[in-house]
Amino acid sequence: MAEVVFDQASRIYTPGAKPAVDSLDLTVADGELVVLVGPSGSGKSTALRMLAGLEPIDAGSVRIDGRDVVDVPSKDRDIAMVFQNYALYPSKTVAENMAFPLKMRGMDKEERGRRVRQAAEMLGLTDFLDRKPKAMSGGQRQRVAMGRAIVREPQVFLMDEPLSNLDAKMRVQTRAQIAELQNRLAVSTVYVTHDQVEAMTMGDRVAVLADGKLQQYATPPELYDRPTNAFVAGFIGSPAMNLLDLPRSSTGVTLGGVEVPLPREISDAAGSRDRITVGIRPEDWVLESTDADAGSVIKAVVDVVEELGSESYLYAHLAEDTSTSIVVRGPGRVKVRFGDPIAVRPNPEALHVFDVETGQRLP
Amino acid sequence: MAVTTSTPPDERTPDTAEGAPEPRRRRGNAVDVWLGVIAWVVGIAFFFPVFWMVLTSFKTEADAYTPTPKIIFEPTLEQYEGVFSSGIGPYLANSVGATVISTLLVLLLAIPAAFALSLRPVQKTSDVLFFFISTKMLPVVAAIVPIYVVVNEIGALDNIWTLIVLYTGMNLPIAVWMMRSFFLEVPGELLEQASIDGAPLWRTLREIVLPIISPGIFATALICVIFAWNEFFFAVNLTAANAGTVPVFLVGFITSEGLYWAQLSAAATLAALPVVIAGWVAQNKLVQGLSFGAVK
Amino acid sequence: MTTTLERPAPDKQAGGAPMIDRAEGWRRRAPLLPALIFTIIVTQIPFLLTIFYSLQSWNLVRPGSQSFVWFQNYADVFTDSQFRQVALNTVVMTLGSVLIAVALGLVLALLLNRQFFGRGVVRTLLITPFLITPVAAALLWRTVLLDPTLGLVNFVLSPFGASGTEWISEFPLASVMAALVWQWTPFMMLLLLAGLQSQPTDQLEAARVDGANSWSIFRELTLPHLRRFIELGVVLGTIYLVNTFDTVYMMTQGGPGVASANLPFYIYQRAFLGFDIGQSAAMGVVVVILTLIAATFALRLLFRTFSGEEEAA
Ligand SMILES: Nc1ncnc2c1ncn2[C@@H]1O[C@H](COP(=O)(O)OP(=O)(O)OP(=O)(O)O)[C@@H](O)[C@H]1O
Ligand SMILES: [Mg+2]
Repeated sequence: MAEVVFDQASRIYTPGAKPAVDSLDLTVADGELVVLVGPSGSGKSTALRMLAGLEPIDAGSVRIDGRDVVDVPSKDRDIAMVFQNYALYPSKTVAENMAFPLKMRGMDKEERGRRVRQAAEMLGLTDFLDRKPKAMSGGQRQRVAMGRAIVREPQVFLMDEPLSNLDAKMRVQTRAQIAELQNRLAVSTVYVTHDQVEAMTMGDRVAVLADGKLQQYATPPELYDRPTNAFVAGFIGSPAMNLLDLPRSSTGVTLGGVEVPLPREISDAAGSRDRITVGIRPEDWVLESTDADAGSVIKAVVDVVEELGSESYLYAHLAEDTSTSIVVRGPGRVKVRFGDPIAVRPNPEALHVFDVETGQRLP
Repeated sequence: MAVTTSTPPDERTPDTAEGAPEPRRRRGNAVDVWLGVIAWVVGIAFFFPVFWMVLTSFKTEADAYTPTPKIIFEPTLEQYEGVFSSGIGPYLANSVGATVISTLLVLLLAIPAAFALSLRPVQKTSDVLFFFISTKMLPVVAAIVPIYVVVNEIGALDNIWTLIVLYTGMNLPIAVWMMRSFFLEVPGELLEQASIDGAPLWRTLREIVLPIISPGIFATALICVIFAWNEFFFAVNLTAANAGTVPVFLVGFITSEGLYWAQLSAAATLAALPVVIAGWVAQNKLVQGLSFGAVK
Repeated sequence: MTTTLERPAPDKQAGGAPMIDRAEGWRRRAPLLPALIFTIIVTQIPFLLTIFYSLQSWNLVRPGSQSFVWFQNYADVFTDSQFRQVALNTVVMTLGSVLIAVALGLVLALLLNRQFFGRGVVRTLLITPFLITPVAAALLWRTVLLDPTLGLVNFVLSPFGASGTEWISEFPLASVMAALVWQWTPFMMLLLLAGLQSQPTDQLEAARVDGANSWSIFRELTLPHLRRFIELGVVLGTIYLVNTFDTVYMMTQGGPGVASANLPFYIYQRAFLGFDIGQSAAMGVVVVILTLIAATFALRLLFRTFSGEEEAA
């Protein structure tokens, strides 16, 4: 068990090119599960592999339990990794796969057997111990890979999209299992995924990466409620937050020809900017009657309706400004269809405001 | 071989038009049947000389020399007895020795080399590969003169080890290429996992990589065996009674005994048999090996 | 000779990895060295010696005859009209056999790439000629198949009035090529069959849904896909067939005259029947140069074939 620290760590694949991971600062507390998320190519896997010792650290340092591991080979870092394709040894049985890292560390046979049995029990693999990986389903293989990580009792678990080869239902189930297991074992864990639902449900804290740079590192609620910039705001949440680039008016901003007042502190923070980016989550629109007074509601025309049962999402464009599209969350059953008019009003308490140029949150 | 037959050309989605799917399908089947028959005919035609050779080897010389080839005859083992009594034994032993030892040597040298050229690539990998394959491009005839002179000088003529060394050199480049392409198919994640697990290199190789590429090793070995067993040029020029291999025996046999077809067929059958059987058993691996793993 | 390795490798770093230090570099290279050194000793040194011998007048049957004559041997080789004939034979024999074998192999592969009764057996029958020891195969052709009075070929052709043809003496080069084609067609067939079967079926299905007919699917999809397999077949076939010796030796002894002799056989005759070391070495050098020219093209082909897995070099 240990604390993991990335200290200005960088990885540059091709000299002169943009770093794949750029001066990453990140601290994983002892026993914490931290999720790295970001779009494809943002450097998540690279960061994880730097921690694993599979990629060199070109600048900065990485520390595990206070020890600088830059020059430490992976086998001596006391970490265990679960790969996307599981990397099970095809010629070995499940039991041999799980015992292999222990054998390499010179553990005696009895202790190996004990640990393997214990892990197999924990993961419901007892009946499969003598099978080869080839004869197992994706979900079972995933559990073997987990088992091989667990038996090591390492200081840190590393997982790179360990669920992406499973079907949707398996994924939800296994996600919960991993989170529960990690909680029980209390081993510091770094978990890479591009699935933000995984990130939000599993992570004690979530680090959002884009272009090799850390955008925000926070707990899931904080990430959702106070995204530090427009990128994070747009990345976290599904459907994504409406990010609208709007002109200022005297009391707030103008949206679809309607004056939307801004709360005082936002207005102050926006200062003298002519335009600001306003973020409104789909659930932060209030649906109004279409008969309502023209000056107080925003008129829009529905393009697509997604009914999910418990709720629905209306994709619409503004009547005044047809090039602006918005997403609005509605109740489970809505009567509107393609081409129907709707009227909405943003909840002024829940607005997010960002600088147009830098994307930084205001205030 | 994965049986991924392409859809037969005539099997389209059945028309709803007057053509009606029924007759069309039958026509498709008829074409298929005919192409199948043609394949059989060609297959038998290609095999027939071999079949005839084996058949002739069971005839008496009188049955072998008939203006109208004989299919019905009284089979006899007389020819095989003749071949064995004329001393094919030592030649067979030489062939087995030269083939097996040179193949083992090739594997011993090629596996580490291919590893260095694939999983942990060294600098200038493609130059090294180019060098290996380019040695195959150079005709052995251009080297036979000095080889003969040197071998003669060091008194290694008619010595089985001379052949072993030369066969190893002859098969090594192809083996390196083949082994490398098999190594490249080992997923990198597995090696990374092994290094995290703390396995030293030689253990990773032995316990994880080798089991995965063992079909590839097998294919490589088989190809080395075929080429070494069938090799004639070095054998005929550098060996005689002592270290001669089976092809050399065949040549000596016809010159000493004259051309007796039945006996000759028996000798030729014996010479070809080991490799033919090995090739039959491992035909799938053979393709994969010869196409340098370009085919999965 | 191949000069590819002589250049010292400058320490060009792949990627931004910290410099792989010297020790690590040697550790990585170490497994390669035994094979490399062995290959250099067994294949390169003899070629160097060949060059050396080619500058000497040296006949084994006259001990002490060894003397340095510079390029006299080369002059002799180039004025030797037989040598030119033999070089031409080699080209015809090699390219002709390879191309015919590839063409036949393609047809057979297409035939076998469909479901029919006993497909595995037919494939087994077809590959057998490739496995037969070439010396035995050549004997088989010379006697059982092509014998003018008792051979099967003339027996089969006798209803067409072709009996009594002296195949080996009338058409020596063609006879040798027939045996070579018989042996190498199965190899090409196997290679191309593997190529056909590695073509993704969804591609073919997509084309079919797009309304392509069998012929255009073959031309537009299958043939381009097979291209690298065909190239590989041509290159490998050429490598091996240029060196054909056993078939010529057993079937025709290069005769009549030099009508069916190729370079390996001719050099063999000079060296081991004429014992003329100097001249046969000079011929060897000429062969190497000619082969290198051809091989450069062939290697380009081969490397393009594998360019998918090669780092840009
Ligand atoms: N071996 C490599 N050589 C050069 N560039 C690389 C290499 N591996 C990754 N990169 C680059 O580094 C960047 C980060 O890649 P990385 O694999 O870490 O992304 P990721 O966030 O894991 O993406 P994904 O979600 O698609 O797995 C990408 O731009 C990628 O192109
Ligand atoms: Mg990744």
